[in-house]
Amino acid sequence: MTSLSEEVLLVVKKVRQKKQDGTLYLMAERIAWGPEGKDRFTVSHLYADIRCQKISPDGKAKVQLQLVLHTGESTTFHFANESTALKDREAAKELLQQLLPKFKKKANKELEEKNRMLQEDPVLFQLYKDLVVSQVISAEEFWANRLGGINNTDPSPYNNKQEVGISGAFLADIRPQTDGCNGLRYNLTADIIESIFRTYPAVKQKYSENVPHNLTEKEFWTRFFQSHYFHRDRINTGTQDIFSECAKQDEKGLKTLVTQGVKNPLVDLQSLEDKTLDEGYGICTTQPSTSNANKSVKDSSNSAIIKRFNHHSAMVLAAGSRRGELASDQASETSSTDGNSRDSDFFQPPVKKVKLQEAIEFEDLQRENRPKTVPLNLKKSDRYAHGPVPLQSQQYTTSQDIINSVNYIRHEMASYKPSLTQVRAQTLCAQQRV
Amino acid sequence: MASEDEINLLVIVVDVNPIWWGQQAQRDPQFTLSKCMDAVMVMGNAHMAMARTNKLAVIASHCQGSHFLYPSKSWSGEDGGGNDVSSSGDGKYELLSAANNLIVEEIRNIMSKIEVTGNSTDTLLAGSLAKALCYIHRLTKELEVGQEIKSRILVVKAAEDCALQYMNFMNVIFAAQKQNILIDACVLDSDSGLLQQACDITGGLYMKIPQKVALAQYLLWVFLPDSEQRSQLVLPPPAHVDYRAACFCHRNLIEIGYVCSVCLSIFCNFSPICTTCE
Repeated sequence: MTSLSEEVLLVVKKVRQKKQDGTLYLMAERIAWGPEGKDRFTVSHLYADIRCQKISPDGKAKVQLQLVLHTGESTTFHFANESTALKDREAAKELLQQLLPKFKKKANKELEEKNRMLQEDPVLFQLYKDLVVSQVISAEEFWANRLGGINNTDPSPYNNKQEVGISGAFLADIRPQTDGCNGLRYNLTADIIESIFRTYPAVKQKYSENVPHNLTEKEFWTRFFQSHYFHRDRINTGTQDIFSECAKQDEKGLKTLVTQGVKNPLVDLQSLEDKTLDEGYGICTTQPSTSNANKSVKDSSNSAIIKRFNHHSAMVLAAGSRRGELASDQASETSSTDGNSRDSDFFQPPVKKVKLQEAIEFEDLQRENRPKTVPLNLKKSDRYAHGPVPLQSQQYTTSQDIINSVNYIRHEMASYKPSLTQVRAQTLCAQQRV
Repeated sequence: MASEDEINLLVIVVDVNPIWWGQQAQRDPQFTLSKCMDAVMVMGNAHMAMARTNKLAVIASHCQGSHFLYPSKSWSGEDGGGNDVSSSGDGKYELLSAANNLIVEEIRNIMSKIEVTGNSTDTLLAGSLAKALCYIHRLTKELEVGQEIKSRILVVKAAEDCALQYMNFMNVIFAAQKQNILIDACVLDSDSGLLQQACDITGGLYMKIPQKVALAQYLLWVFLPDSEQRSQLVLPPPAHVDYRAACFCHRNLIEIGYVCSVCLSIFCNFSPICTTCE
């Protein structure tokens, strides 16, 4: 073949295209095919133009590779080498599989961007429909005006989709199914595992400590679900549980959370306390002190459940606001809501101040920040009074005339009696002219 | 036929400039303000008699301001008042006689109180038109759901144009055009360029009456039918309006000129600094 300036990655001989024998060349940026004996390529496609490749099923006699372009057309190559047809095709396919994604991204990204813009802005979409679909201007002109800034600015503002928080019910969603013979089957997906790790960083810590050195993943999770930690019986029977430490940590965390309180000075949680009159509508003063033990058991199981729910909610909220921050030990403002992290007392004043300011200031009452405009100075504003009207001769009336006229009319009107039946003068009946 | 619910509102703006009418009465005693008011009342009655849902308003416009002759604030608008104002002896439709009486009383009041100073001798027509537009707007807002209203303004003009009212006039005209309100003009004496423009822009009819004495006839023939019915009638053709603007420097009418992009004043010669705004 003549010298090619491009780098050739793969050459496959005996490839037929449209019933002609030839050679297939895969270059750095394009794929080309030339018939046997000729110097030129009859078929050449840039990788950027190719949308996807298809191969004929393995069982078929003909070993073929088809390239589908973005425009919709397709080109089929038939590997005719008797011995190595399948191998050739596989080689070509692998190479294409590696190369296509690189080029695909560039072309696709632009298209994606355009689609996204059209979908997000209905006005733009309507404009596009009116102008391009009815062929008033071409699509290139339309996008030339819009896309000027896109390729230069960094794409992060456009990918700003909202972060998905954690569902509060994710633990409940892992419904155990009975396994038939006295076992329970838990289905753990990657999502659930991620939720657990995000909500309970202590568990994540344990996981990273123990897996894969001590336990396999399966064992870890089995232990997890078996542990009292999970079931929160809160009966610290002292079993050798890797999770009992977690329980203690959680309790500590909850206590710190309670002491921290709420930073918003306008929210008063104390007012939500239960104020019961107890039995006897407040009259009965004798406390049933004999059943202390029972009470404490009942109380403790109630309070255990309540504590558990509170802790769970606090952790879910904290995980949501931690926002993809990896479990680092850095104290950030958000992790101050999670009792398990370091105390962040010195963050309190700014938050309080902000809340107070929000409550006091009203946006409507502030001075408006409008762009400054240049005031219009008219030197001869009386020109506007008469406007672009030519001079007309004014009729002058002497003041005497005026006085006379006014007196006359006053006199006339003072004795005005309507005579509606005399409105039409008879002499005029015959004189109507159009 | 128009639908049952459609309301037709006619606002008549009568120019009662006392100076002009006083002079007119001296010139030609056959046609005085009294005769003019009679003709206007006949027209008003005719309009109200055409359909139950027709409405009328009359505004008197003079040198010091404009005043509603009908409906007037002192009128309670309820039947069975029993006093002299609303009862009529000849069995006429109550509404018509009440309206007539009110108009007479109001015009007498105005004319007795009027005082003219030397420098304000022009009729304040732009203000009266603005009042008419506001009245129409108010009635449009007070409509019940499903009711429609079609309004038009009829201007009976006597005195000459006042050049100083140009801007206000143009604003009123464009406001009326936006609201689809017709402005008709019945001119008694001298042609008025402003009213010609008004009628042209809003789609109304402009007519200078050849014989003042026959005012009632012209009003009933030309100006009584509303816009839908006018297409069926043969009416006087519209006059050609001269829309040429006058330049600000010489006040000559020009066809091609230069406009300042800041203050929009028109000049016949190019100059780098606009004399109005610089």
